[in-house]
Amino acid sequence: MEPSELTLTINGEQRTVRARPMDMLLSVLRSEGKLFGAREGCGVGMCGACTVLLDGRPVSSCLMPVVKAQHGEIVTVEGLEGEHGELDPIQQAYIDHNAFQCSFCTPGFILATKALLEEKPDVTEEEARAYLAGNLCRCGSYVKILDAVMDAKERLRRPS
Amino acid sequence: MIDGQARVTGRLELVLNVERPGMLHAAVARSTVPHARIKEIDVSAARRVPGVREVVTGADVLAMDGIRPRFGPVLRDQPILALDRVRYVGEPVVAIAADDPEAAAEAAFAVAVDYEELPGVFVGSEAIEESAPLLHEPAEGVGPTFPDIVLNLGAGHNVCNHFKIRKGDVDAALDGAAHVFEDDFTTPVVQHVALEPHVCVVEIDASGRMTCWDTTQTPHVIVKELGELLGLTASQVRVIVPSLGGAYGGKCYTKIEPLTAMLALRTGRPVKLTLTREEEFVTVTKHASEFRLTTGIDDDGRIVARRTRCLFNTGAYADIGPRLIKNGGYGSPGPYAIPNVWVDSYAVYTNLPPAGAFRGYGQQQAAWAYETQMDAIADRLGIDPLELRTMNLLGPDDVYHTGEPMHDCRFRELLAEVVDGVGWSAESEPVRSGSRVRAKGFACAIKGTVTPSVSTATVRMNEDGSLNVLTSSVEMGQGLKTVLADIACARLGVARDRVHVSGVDTAITPYDQQTSSSRSTYCMGNAVLDAIGELSEALRRLAARQLGADPALLEVGGGEVRAPDGRAAAFGELVRGAARGNLIGHGRFHTEGGLDSETGQGVASAHWHQTAGAAEVEVDLETGSVEILRFHTSTYAGRVVNRTLAELQSEGNVAFGVGQALFEEMDFDGGQLRGANLGEYQVVSFDDMPRRLKVSFMEGGERADVHGLGETALPAVCPAIGNAVSRAIGARITELPFTPERVLEMVRQSEAVAVGPGS
Repeated sequence: MEPSELTLTINGEQRTVRARPMDMLLSVLRSEGKLFGAREGCGVGMCGACTVLLDGRPVSSCLMPVVKAQHGEIVTVEGLEGEHGELDPIQQAYIDHNAFQCSFCTPGFILATKALLEEKPDVTEEEARAYLAGNLCRCGSYVKILDAVMDAKERLRRPS
Repeated sequence: MIDGQARVTGRLELVLNVERPGMLHAAVARSTVPHARIKEIDVSAARRVPGVREVVTGADVLAMDGIRPRFGPVLRDQPILALDRVRYVGEPVVAIAADDPEAAAEAAFAVAVDYEELPGVFVGSEAIEESAPLLHEPAEGVGPTFPDIVLNLGAGHNVCNHFKIRKGDVDAALDGAAHVFEDDFTTPVVQHVALEPHVCVVEIDASGRMTCWDTTQTPHVIVKELGELLGLTASQVRVIVPSLGGAYGGKCYTKIEPLTAMLALRTGRPVKLTLTREEEFVTVTKHASEFRLTTGIDDDGRIVARRTRCLFNTGAYADIGPRLIKNGGYGSPGPYAIPNVWVDSYAVYTNLPPAGAFRGYGQQQAAWAYETQMDAIADRLGIDPLELRTMNLLGPDDVYHTGEPMHDCRFRELLAEVVDGVGWSAESEPVRSGSRVRAKGFACAIKGTVTPSVSTATVRMNEDGSLNVLTSSVEMGQGLKTVLADIACARLGVARDRVHVSGVDTAITPYDQQTSSSRSTYCMGNAVLDAIGELSEALRRLAARQLGADPALLEVGGGEVRAPDGRAAAFGELVRGAARGNLIGHGRFHTEGGLDSETGQGVASAHWHQTAGAAEVEVDLETGSVEILRFHTSTYAGRVVNRTLAELQSEGNVAFGVGQALFEEMDFDGGQLRGANLGEYQVVSFDDMPRRLKVSFMEGGERADVHGLGETALPAVCPAIGNAVSRAIGARITELPFTPERVLEMVRQSEAVAVGPGS
């Protein structure tokens, strides 16, 4: 089937892209949107490196046909920054705790953290570990990721 | 890290993001059988797929003028595309370039190959039997990477190298020993699973110069090997490496570059090849190993002799296997002073995917064997495993079994720290509560680093006093750029935001041997310091003229050059005064060594990496599941350059070790890999990490050598956990990983033994 025009809401903007309905959201974001923060790590929804938010919920964009994302609000890591490039408090917490090594997984972790803290502003360490178990960090930066998540929780509770 | 902003915003440069005008996408049709003669390849359907621009077979490669059809860092045994035979499931047979990745993949799927299947062999100890199928004729010549490598070819059936250590009289010592223990240990094939796959983009300009954006840890090896394959000079091959999304050894040496380059050559268009996760599993793996350790102990508990026979399953092509067996072999006596040592270490061809470098580099397999055996010996002698180790550990004045003097040995302190850390004592028994048993265990390990070794660096001071560091070391998440900036800032007193550390571009950045072997902070760090030394000399000469002072008395630091009387000239001022735009310093750091091919005597490692780890585990005797309650790892760092990054390396090593202890294993059935995906091949997630993890470092004072940490903590992790689990279940685990099934089987066996036959 030939690609046709589709309109997606990405990071608060209406974007017209050329895609086939069953193309995966990940490949459309990367090839059409030139948004490189979501990455394919496994292609089967197991690693979380392709995580984006769809209506605030984390989804594996490698398994999400683009038609299913058509009527929702898509947020990628590029959408977390403010107008003048200010970082989201979660991004800043990840930097401050150096909660990454190669950081291939980092955008996925940050978006999953965002969804987590919106769902559970008082999340405990145990709950955070369980929630984030669907995102893999092969470099094994989990200790510092957990530190960043718990710190981000505090930052979001006490907005500066 | 200095590039943290790019890392949290998704803007990190990756080869995955490289797009070139007119770029084609590649896909590979791969062998579906483990061992076969190729009778016929039918590419007609593949050529008909819309958007396909080129379809290449091994025969096409052979027909190309001036192209060497095989590559390999040590032995040139690996064809760019299979020629007359395939030797493993997943071997590249046909390469396709198309307008988009989907068309390329569809064409690869449409390739039909008629095979005449041959018997296969998949296990090292079976492959060395004369009756096993022979995978290769004698090697066709030594590859370009390590001119110093000593090859003992023809040492056995399917053996592609044999490494030996001959020290003392092992036979006599074993004969005279009060106790002799002979035990077997195995480790499985596992995969690196860097979340970023191998990706390569090759573009060739009208004059034939090639640019290769590549996910490699060894950019200068790629320059050399692509040059030799295609008949280009080093100046005609430019390798650019942005940050890598993980590597762990899997991105060392040539992999997909020749194939991508060939497609670019034939189409005249830039070509990009991005491997799928499934392809990653068949591109490079970690060597499965089979160790037999024979250890003689005297009445006092001293080890008087060790004989090691180890087989490393290097798969269908040698990759770096012929070199890795040296490290696995010389590592097998462990961190112990043993007067009589005999080692036979073999790299063995089988019909599995090629095995290569993997974090721990052979010495992790060795540590699994020797540290598991230490506990097994202590058990059988009824002595304290800590005491057994302590009395045998290398001390500061000992000579290693390679004949090299040891220095800076900290094993006793490292062990004492972790053992205290988890509250282990010889008297403490496993604690049972219902079906769950808690127990503790520990291990220590030694690891060498590649020796001899060379790194070079260039530093450039600009007219504003800022500094550029040019290096070919690869940033792959270890924080290399940050660490080199730290080192330069500390020496010159230039603010960190005024230092830029380059990425790798072999057209511009100076030579570095490789980013592996935990060597970059040590080797490249010292090369940068050497370059700063040359720059400082130039600054001193300029300042001497300006200040009218004796250059020998001038001090460089704090962003300026100071005279003893307190007068000073700022760096920027001096560079501007020199009227040459910038000042340049070149630096080099190298180590020397090497081992005799017949005796294994010489210098194996410029210095030695040392670690200890201890675990407390809880095993469920009804389900076989193992939970790691806490882990304490302690490593000798010499000097810690950046504490956060150092901690991350050790934490990552623990994560790697936990996965390999509990579940990582590539499961082959007759050469067919089951579950080449992250649904079935598990890697460590938040759920699997130890509930409490303590990381510590021991330092050796201001003048101590910086010791690499990239792999150091890893080798002790599996045996520490294994020793704890063995204690918990009352049976000795010798095989990795200890999955619930294996643990349950061991529990049943030990219960059967406890009950006794006939009762």
